Amino acid sequence: MLFNSIDFAIFFPVVFILYWFVANRNLKIQNLLLLIASYIFYGWWDWRFLSLLLFSTLVDYFVGIMLNKQENPLKRKLLLTLSIVTNLGLLGFFKYYNFFLDNLVESYTFFGGEINARSLNVILPVGISFYTFQTLSYSIDIYRRKLIATTDFVAFATFVTFFPQLVAGPIERATNLLPQFFKKRELDYSQAIDGLRQILWGLFKKIVIADNSAQLANQIFNNSADYGGSTLLLGTFFFAIQIYGDFSGYSDIAIGTARLFGFSLMRNFAFPYFSRDMAEFWRRWHISLSTWFRDYLYIPLGGSKGGLSMKIRNTFIIFLVSGFWHGANWTFIIWGALNAIYFLPLLLSNKNRENLDIVAKGRLFPSLREFSKILLTFSLTLIAWIFFRAATVTEAVSILSTIFSASLFTMPDLPLKVLLVIGLIGVFIITEWLGRENQYAIEKVYVTFPKPVRWAVYYSIVFLIFMFAGQGQTFIYFQF
Amino acid sequence: MKRLIKNSILFLIPLVLFMYLADWFFSNQLKHSRYGEYGVWNDIYNGKADADVAIYGSSRAMVHVDPLIIKDSLRLSAYNFGINGHNFWLQYFRHRELLEHNKKPRVIIHSVDMFTLVKRDDLFQMEQFLPYMLYNKKLQHWIGSYKGFSAYDFNIPLVRYYGQYKTMGKIFKAVVTGNKAASTDRSLGFAAKDLPWTDDLVKARAQFPDYRVKVDSVSVVLFENYLKECRNEGIAIALVYTPEYIEGQDFVKNRAEIMNIFSSLAVKYDIPFFDYSDDSISYKREYFYNASHLNGTGARLFTSKMIHDIKNNESIARLMSSSNEQYMHQASLKSDRSKYLSD
Repeated sequence: MLFNSIDFAIFFPVVFILYWFVANRNLKIQNLLLLIASYIFYGWWDWRFLSLLLFSTLVDYFVGIMLNKQENPLKRKLLLTLSIVTNLGLLGFFKYYNFFLDNLVESYTFFGGEINARSLNVILPVGISFYTFQTLSYSIDIYRRKLIATTDFVAFATFVTFFPQLVAGPIERATNLLPQFFKKRELDYSQAIDGLRQILWGLFKKIVIADNSAQLANQIFNNSADYGGSTLLLGTFFFAIQIYGDFSGYSDIAIGTARLFGFSLMRNFAFPYFSRDMAEFWRRWHISLSTWFRDYLYIPLGGSKGGLSMKIRNTFIIFLVSGFWHGANWTFIIWGALNAIYFLPLLLSNKNRENLDIVAKGRLFPSLREFSKILLTFSLTLIAWIFFRAATVTEAVSILSTIFSASLFTMPDLPLKVLLVIGLIGVFIITEWLGRENQYAIEKVYVTFPKPVRWAVYYSIVFLIFMFAGQGQTFIYFQF
Repeated sequence: MKRLIKNSILFLIPLVLFMYLADWFFSNQLKHSRYGEYGVWNDIYNGKADADVAIYGSSRAMVHVDPLIIKDSLRLSAYNFGINGHNFWLQYFRHRELLEHNKKPRVIIHSVDMFTLVKRDDLFQMEQFLPYMLYNKKLQHWIGSYKGFSAYDFNIPLVRYYGQYKTMGKIFKAVVTGNKAASTDRSLGFAAKDLPWTDDLVKARAQFPDYRVKVDSVSVVLFENYLKECRNEGIAIALVYTPEYIEGQDFVKNRAEIMNIFSSLAVKYDIPFFDYSDDSISYKREYFYNASHLNGTGARLFTSKMIHDIKNNESIARLMSSSNEQYMHQASLKSDRSKYLSD
């Protein structure tokens, strides 16, 4: 079920009413209701993969309980290995089987060998990269004795499948989300309104900004050979806006929805395009994944504590794995490598923690220096996005070489509609800038206004969503 | 919680009101449109499509048969109900709506083609149904099986206009320019297309070198029922295979099989079947703008030829002459009345 569908617009109030008015007296019944709702939400897409979800849940539930009881280090290690192998095995099969097979066949052919292997028509279960990482964090945290395993199966299963963040995150840690299933939830007015406001902003980002940008980005990237440098650069810009609007929009809807059920999810985006360097960008982009890799991969590998070679190795590992997590394609791996190259100079010169606060805090405009830093960081990001979006590495290289040619200085070849989309993106960027010190752009920006003005703003956003809806696009991150 | 519910309701009331008002506004504008299929549907639903001779079919009917020529040569009222891009399923729905809202025609000239008995998956030019959809169960039954609209579109106001950029753009343009009626591209349903020859055939051949039409068995049953219904209603039908450019006639590999279905049905129900596949018009590219569609000149030439042939068919001619007498009688009454008024 998509957040931007009428199915969800009906599903959500029904679950909300049942949750607060029918099941409100019993925490366990509330959890059970959320579990059933989550399975319906996921099964709406393809009910066959519910078994996979249940399997993953069962494995980590029992591994967790056994880890709790087990004191023998070797057996504990074996149990953790079981959880990791099961989760990554599922992920590997559904997401990477064909990639590895194709590359194996190509390597054999390259060296003159012959191998008889056939690709499988494997459907990628929606959200598998997200929920496997979430359950993995549970087992690892118990192994590290940071968390005590729960015996409440319903609560655990709901933690794994919690519908607001099931298919595209934020990837929650058990230490943050799981305890919330054991606390009585209250819904106060300001919290509910805040949740609704964040949902509204998320829908605007997705439906108006991302979907309209997607149409232009798709048109340009799908026919990249027909366009000159300036149009391709504009196409890359539209893709950058699309992926941000799409994914952060989803996160906003997820966080807002969870709030309406009395849950607090972690923040996933913090205005990444206003970053002044790549280290800051990675602290602000897809925070739940970046911190996951930091806690469960980078730090166990030694982090930045070792010597120069170790720092370089660990940085490359984390970015390459992050790239590979996004998809089984060399384009994603190169995207990860590029980001590692961007990040390394900052790490090695100890400048990776220079910009911890939001840019121009307490000021309306950034300084010229800050502005130029933002522009440079955004430009580097654009180059990396080309690899992320292109179908093949060859295509990405061809796009890059066209951008860095004389055709960059020609007039872009695009329909007039582009002006409307640029206008909408302009409104969006200004609002994001004004609200950059908050959790999400309109969290406080319009709250101080009198009620009629505030409501007029909300109605205007609803109106914009209706009038300027892009062609129905699914969320990009569902494919990861 | 009470405050939340109260404020949510207060917030939603204007929104729901707006949805109903905007829906009414958009639909009302489209119900006044004369453009494309809107014009034909609006004539049907407003009871302004009374015609002795009705032309049915797809885009081939729409661009091949000029009702004005029929009117002039037969002295009968005529209307072209060809529905662009659609097969018999929706041609039949249009026929049903015509009978419900207008007087029944005496004669139906039904243009059949290779795709008449196919049912496409997508709802081509789906925007044509927008103004009539809300709470319309009958329409939902007929177009609900196509990919395009969901049940929500028929039951929640405004939802179906969501993302319909082009349609809303046209509506606003009509409102801003004050031209509610908007220009029409069809005259009594007929659309003369004076276009240069296109390379559609070359493209189609390259894309589908071995194209075979897959007949939809439900559409065949529906077509037979329609023939029976018309016979019971006393409506004469002439099946017509209008000219098709000779070089394009080998595109559909099972053409003979399809033609055989129409010939058999014509024999079974004792109705005339005029096949112009081998007519001299089909050999002249200057009369076409692509392999399946005649241009304006070709269409006018063909209509005259077809009328001549139909006139020579006994059963149809009989019905036409009785209609013609009525037409002349009504015309003379009209003339007497206007004479009386002017005196």
